[in-house]
Amino acid sequence: MKVKIKAWHAIAQWQWDTGNTDHDEGDGEGDVCGICRVPYEGCCPTCKVPGDDCPLIWGECSHVFHMHCLLKWIGTPASKQQCPMDRRTWGTCSIPKQHILFAKIITVTAERKVPPQGQQGQ
Amino acid sequence: MTSQSGRSQILATWQEAFTRLNANQPGITGLMNFTKAWKFAREYLYPIDINNPSTKVYAAHEVRTAFEVLGKARRLAAIFEAFLEDMRTQQHLITRDVNHHMSLHEETSDPRAVADLVYRLTEWHSAWEPGQEFGHQVLSAFNHTFQTHVFSVLPASFSSGFKSLIDMTLQPYLDKEESRSRGGEYPADLRLWAGFECLGMLERYESLISSVCYEAIEKHVWDKCARSWAEPELVNLREWITDCIVPWMLLPYARGARNSEEAKVMLQGVGARFDFHMCKTLCDLRIGEIFDIIVDYPDSKGALQDLKECLQRVDQRSQLVLALRRANARRLLHPGADTKDILAQYVSIMRCLRFIDPPGVLLHKVADPIRKYLRGRPDTIRCIVANLVGDKESGDSLADVDEPVQPLSQVQLEDYSDPNWEPEPIDAGPDFRKNKPSDTISTLVSIYDSKDLFVKELQVLLAQRLLLVQDGNFDNERRNIEILKVRFGEAQLQVCEVMLKDMTDSKRIDQHIQTQNECVLHSTIISRHFWPPLQGNKLIMPTQFKEVQDQYANGFAEFKPDKKLHWLPQLGTITLEVELQDRTIEAEVTPLEAAVIGLFGEKDRWTTEALTSSVGGTIEESAMTKALNKWVNLGVIKENEGGEFILLEIQEEGGAKPTASRQAVMEEAPSVMTVEQQQAEQMKVYWRFIEGMLTNLGSLPLDRIQTMLRIAPGYDKTVEQLAAFMEAARREGLVTVHGAHWKLNR
Repeated sequence: MKVKIKAWHAIAQWQWDTGNTDHDEGDGEGDVCGICRVPYEGCCPTCKVPGDDCPLIWGECSHVFHMHCLLKWIGTPASKQQCPMDRRTWGTCSIPKQHILFAKIITVTAERKVPPQGQQGQ
Repeated sequence: MTSQSGRSQILATWQEAFTRLNANQPGITGLMNFTKAWKFAREYLYPIDINNPSTKVYAAHEVRTAFEVLGKARRLAAIFEAFLEDMRTQQHLITRDVNHHMSLHEETSDPRAVADLVYRLTEWHSAWEPGQEFGHQVLSAFNHTFQTHVFSVLPASFSSGFKSLIDMTLQPYLDKEESRSRGGEYPADLRLWAGFECLGMLERYESLISSVCYEAIEKHVWDKCARSWAEPELVNLREWITDCIVPWMLLPYARGARNSEEAKVMLQGVGARFDFHMCKTLCDLRIGEIFDIIVDYPDSKGALQDLKECLQRVDQRSQLVLALRRANARRLLHPGADTKDILAQYVSIMRCLRFIDPPGVLLHKVADPIRKYLRGRPDTIRCIVANLVGDKESGDSLADVDEPVQPLSQVQLEDYSDPNWEPEPIDAGPDFRKNKPSDTISTLVSIYDSKDLFVKELQVLLAQRLLLVQDGNFDNERRNIEILKVRFGEAQLQVCEVMLKDMTDSKRIDQHIQTQNECVLHSTIISRHFWPPLQGNKLIMPTQFKEVQDQYANGFAEFKPDKKLHWLPQLGTITLEVELQDRTIEAEVTPLEAAVIGLFGEKDRWTTEALTSSVGGTIEESAMTKALNKWVNLGVIKENEGGEFILLEIQEEGGAKPTASRQAVMEEAPSVMTVEQQQAEQMKVYWRFIEGMLTNLGSLPLDRIQTMLRIAPGYDKTVEQLAAFMEAARREGLVTVHGAHWKLNR
């Protein structure tokens, strides 16, 4: 007997590739963004549509956040340009290739948004 | 001295009386004349027995002279006294006749016997009546005495006999056709009616006469209007009254009217009464039929028009509400009725009662129990939502097609600065909300306090429909969502919007992947948190299928390097071509069915258990049996005695014939969890908490459990919901309750 697939209409969910494969496959709630506590596959509080419209950002410290959440954090003087999870200076990871671009943007915006005197408060 | 003065006084009186009677005649001639006149007058007035009438004829001038003499002597009053006294002694004659005729009537119950009695009494009356010349006072005294006697001897059965007699006179008038053919001329028995009048029966039995009329009206209304709802009947009925009843009414009610103007004035009062009675009868009739009238809406508009007019004339509104509520409780709000039907009837009720009573007071009162009942039905929301999105099966009957789509109306606060403000209708209940006549859907949605439930149900429904979409055409759904956005507001339907966007994105991504690397697989890629939880157990596809999946997933990863696909292998459909040695079978199957036949490609014989474990081990037995049945029915495999399934490379004789036991069609499990299932899932989590609590603390009252559960993340149930849940747990024997304390059952 030979079985040939003529057509297949399948259903799938997309997931962010956070490099985290040891988690159960989609059964649990999945990982959440450390800032807004919304799952990565959801969207940050300011967005309405998930996915490419509300992407993630990978840090060198291996922490992953919604990009909007992190940019907002970095934009506040209290952040001192640090990762909110481990207080290391934030650096955007380049492993997912296209995020190198974002890393640049972030550094630029962060520099512009945070004047030196803003750090005195902490 | 006293006797002396007394004597002189008597003497004076005597003298005076003598002079008066003697009329200043010489000797006692005057007195003699008076005596003659008295005797003559007495004889003239004497109530004779009409059975043996005297032949004596009284000359008019003699009578006049006699009474002149009496008048001069001022003895007229005395002579009438004597006459009435004579009447009393002669009354037994009348009594005899009355008894005779009434016993005749009682034997035959023929109203004509009563008519004969009336004729006879009239004869007595005219025989005994003193002439008109004696003046009004004398006549009325006579009439009074005569009638008093007659009424006192009439037996109880007379009233029923009288009634049937009246009825007999009315009957010829009732037939409209006949009355037309006669051109309005009736064989009216004028003698009878004159008799009634002179015997004073019209006044005394007025209520009987009108009751005859009422009954005739009732009968006519019932005959003509029962279960005929298409046209308004009230106009016809009024016409009938004018044509048939009014000519008859002239007899009892407008006797002595000299012209039609006068008759009209005399009939006005009683006519209004009959009209009222007719309206009331029609109203009662329609109220009795109201449920069916509503069922037949809009073919029953005529009846509603009638009812509306009648209700304005007759205050039967509370009866209408009561009757409709009772009918609803009996015929609609019971477990045997489909929710769909209840909703449809509710919508019809809305339309009908809005028509009868535009402010909606009646509707408010009637709708309350229906709404309460619908709230208790688990599938109400689903039915309404299915209707909102225009499900083909359930029909699109609830909402008018021409009804403009508008936002759901909110409860409006009264605007007292409105110059056109009107107070609430007088019979509005305390919680009556004067909503503007809103559209049907708003009213249905307002059965529930919040719109969230609808939105949730809507998501489930939308998900079910979208997942079935294969050709990427979901314009219908998009259109529906756009319409619903107007109703529910954009924010509420954000999630649905994401779902639709997923659909578009999937289509685009799929196209891209297909151009890069053509694949038989087309996928719908969804955003996990924006879709209702999807059902189904994990399924491991055989290698052959897995390869296709992986190939597609790689294509996806290339296109979107930061994302990966997570398959929901239990969902979707596959079109397969199964090539066997002697035949080729093409079939559209579920993934599980595909997996099963894929496994048969590896090995020829399988047991159910082996198959189940090969596809991941979490498949329910019933689902597996169903999948196997599919292929058995297609004649690809068969079950042998050992419970094993064998692949049939070569078709067996009659092998394709499904066995009866295999035919049992199982219900298609919906791939999306319904809202109730989701809630039950949720409660399962909280049950762990409750179990822990009760283990550690022994028994707890409900309030305590609720307070402690509030600490649990995401717990949003009310105490009532918790109580219902605990009650369910008690039924399953998990907990027991002592007083108000809950305890684990062990």
